[in-house]
Amino acid sequence: MAKESFDKEIQFLRMLVLTSGAFSRQQFAERLGISVHTFDKTIRRLKEVVNSVHQNLSQEQSKEFSESLRFSYYDSTDPLLLFLFRAKSVKESESQRISLLLAAMNEQALTAMELLDMCCSGLPSDLPLPDEKTIRSDLKYLEEVGVIKREPGPRPFRYCIQDDLVRSLSDEELLDLYDFVDVMANTQVPSVQGYLLRDGLKKHLLRNQARQYAVEPFLYKYHYYSRILDEAHLFTLLHAIRHRRKVRFLYFSPKSEKSYASKNTNPLFERDSEGKAEKTLPLKIVYDHQYGRWYLLSHGREGIRKYRMEGITQIEEDESVDEVWYEEKKSELTEKIRYSWLIDTGRPVTVRARFYNPEGSEPNFVKERVMLQGQWGQIVFEDEHSFIYEITVNGITEIKPWLRSFGSSCEVLEPAQLRREMIAEWKEIQSYYESV
Amino acid sequence: MNLFEKIFNHQIISRLEDSGTFMVTSHERAWLKTMLEHPAAADAFTADTLDKLHSALETDQVMDISQHLIEKAHTMEKQVYHPLLRPLRRHIMNKTGIRITYEIKGGRVNTDHSGFPYKLEYSMVKREWYLLWYHIRHHAFMSTRLKKIHSVTPEPIDPFAAESIIKKIGKTLESRKSEAVIEIVRVYNAELSRILYAFSSFEKNVEYDTENDTFRVRVSLLGDEMEYLLSKIRFLGKRVRVVKGDYLKRRMLESSTKALERYVVIAADEELSS
Repeated sequence: MAKESFDKEIQFLRMLVLTSGAFSRQQFAERLGISVHTFDKTIRRLKEVVNSVHQNLSQEQSKEFSESLRFSYYDSTDPLLLFLFRAKSVKESESQRISLLLAAMNEQALTAMELLDMCCSGLPSDLPLPDEKTIRSDLKYLEEVGVIKREPGPRPFRYCIQDDLVRSLSDEELLDLYDFVDVMANTQVPSVQGYLLRDGLKKHLLRNQARQYAVEPFLYKYHYYSRILDEAHLFTLLHAIRHRRKVRFLYFSPKSEKSYASKNTNPLFERDSEGKAEKTLPLKIVYDHQYGRWYLLSHGREGIRKYRMEGITQIEEDESVDEVWYEEKKSELTEKIRYSWLIDTGRPVTVRARFYNPEGSEPNFVKERVMLQGQWGQIVFEDEHSFIYEITVNGITEIKPWLRSFGSSCEVLEPAQLRREMIAEWKEIQSYYESV
Repeated sequence: MNLFEKIFNHQIISRLEDSGTFMVTSHERAWLKTMLEHPAAADAFTADTLDKLHSALETDQVMDISQHLIEKAHTMEKQVYHPLLRPLRRHIMNKTGIRITYEIKGGRVNTDHSGFPYKLEYSMVKREWYLLWYHIRHHAFMSTRLKKIHSVTPEPIDPFAAESIIKKIGKTLESRKSEAVIEIVRVYNAELSRILYAFSSFEKNVEYDTENDTFRVRVSLLGDEMEYLLSKIRFLGKRVRVVKGDYLKRRMLESSTKALERYVVIAADEELSS
């Protein structure tokens, strides 16, 4: 069987979250570059996963898929898109068997033969009975993913569930652990594993008499909900980086209209895809907090290459490269992005801007924000009404939106070009509202 | 490490839930072990619990992500945990009242006010924790930075009163919601993805007018979130235009007018001095 790829689902969910409700079925499919039939199939599949993961969705909520994905801030902090990572397909018989095995090893340590007996008597009669080889390979898999462990001792080996993490903790301590996982998954990257752990701990707490109300004491303001979708590629890329391997993928620049091309298994029906086949050597991953987006920075034939993670599909590892050469390329890149506000590798310029303190005795939220978000920039001058912030950055494009977000509290002094651009933009913005 | 492991499959997970089995993979443990290296861990656990966790995770790997990942344009992380989180989350869970002493604007201190804690809220923008609570005597919904709280102790409250406060807060929040509509100026449709990303942290709906090829984002938000929305609108600049929301429109006009005044005034000054 071909390796299951989730490119379609990821593109699909991203578009759904970003454009919530904007497109009809037809338009949606068109924009994704898939047929309406494939659209329906994908939505059916995702619905199935959502419904089994969120059994507590009310009838009303599960009616419309996009509706059920809309979040209501004060209702729940469960990351709704997490279900994507629950979508790996598993045969019915296998999912029955694995859950049965784990439940048995939850009670006590058992040998493979004991587990086989247990399976044979415990599985529904309409499913094929497993043989010893199947059980042994299940155990091997479960040990590999760290869910069970082999107990020390002579043959035949005994296996039990690996849950020291919760077993050694009191109820109070479990609550602390749940909170910590919740906070870190929500405030740090990467977060998918944290959300998965949070999910497991939450169910564990709810089983042990905690009420629903107890597990959601925290809210997080202004999250980029789609950021976890891109983590799907993160670990493939990290693996490649660790092993200095090139990767190949089909890239859809975010500015191109379609974001997914179907990969037909039958070559006769292969369509021309509009994405571009890329082969590149990954060096660094960048997470941009301004938009909640991920980038891959790499080395290609033309030098440094930058890709938006959301445009990467059908990713595969390729050959590895020489270690010394790799380190050289990496330090070249590090040097190039030292002054990148985000990822710009253009010529460094010095930007100077005057910030005006808010009037009145309020806390100085302008200065506070500049200090918190101004990256490596410095305040070089200060009087009672204002202060001057100075920073060396690669190009002016990436820092501009941030400066503009301060409105009239920020006046760009240098470079002259940025100052002119800012004036022109404010004029245009003013013209939008002059009739108000 | 693959995030699409079959062990995470939804059918397996829901079956395990039915049988009451707790399952954790080495992926999740490696993540946890990595997070425990963050200074926040010291505030999140007692020293004893921290020891237990470290020994339970002894054989697990730490993720090496920080070597390969660069985070850009983030707000400096002042605070991830606050010592008050642990006691307050317990008061919230137990639906108990609180007696709170806190500092308000201008440095004045309100001493021993009775309240009811609702939720703890973390602002990703300010990187700080807030307590959302109900002020019993003032019948007011409050938001107080944890760092402005001098002391807080539990205080008994009638369970019926507690339930009615929770309901009331829900209603208050619902009634404070307002709506704004922001249009993406059509010539910038090519930047749609980026613009929608910028709005993806709000509760919103997007409408697409096929005839005019125009997108409109309908944002639903609370009054105190207007400032943040405004900063996002200014962030995007001429790419977007507020089409519904008088307050936002007025503020945008004011921002642009005042900004232009700044530039003009300084330009005139410079001419005078030269």
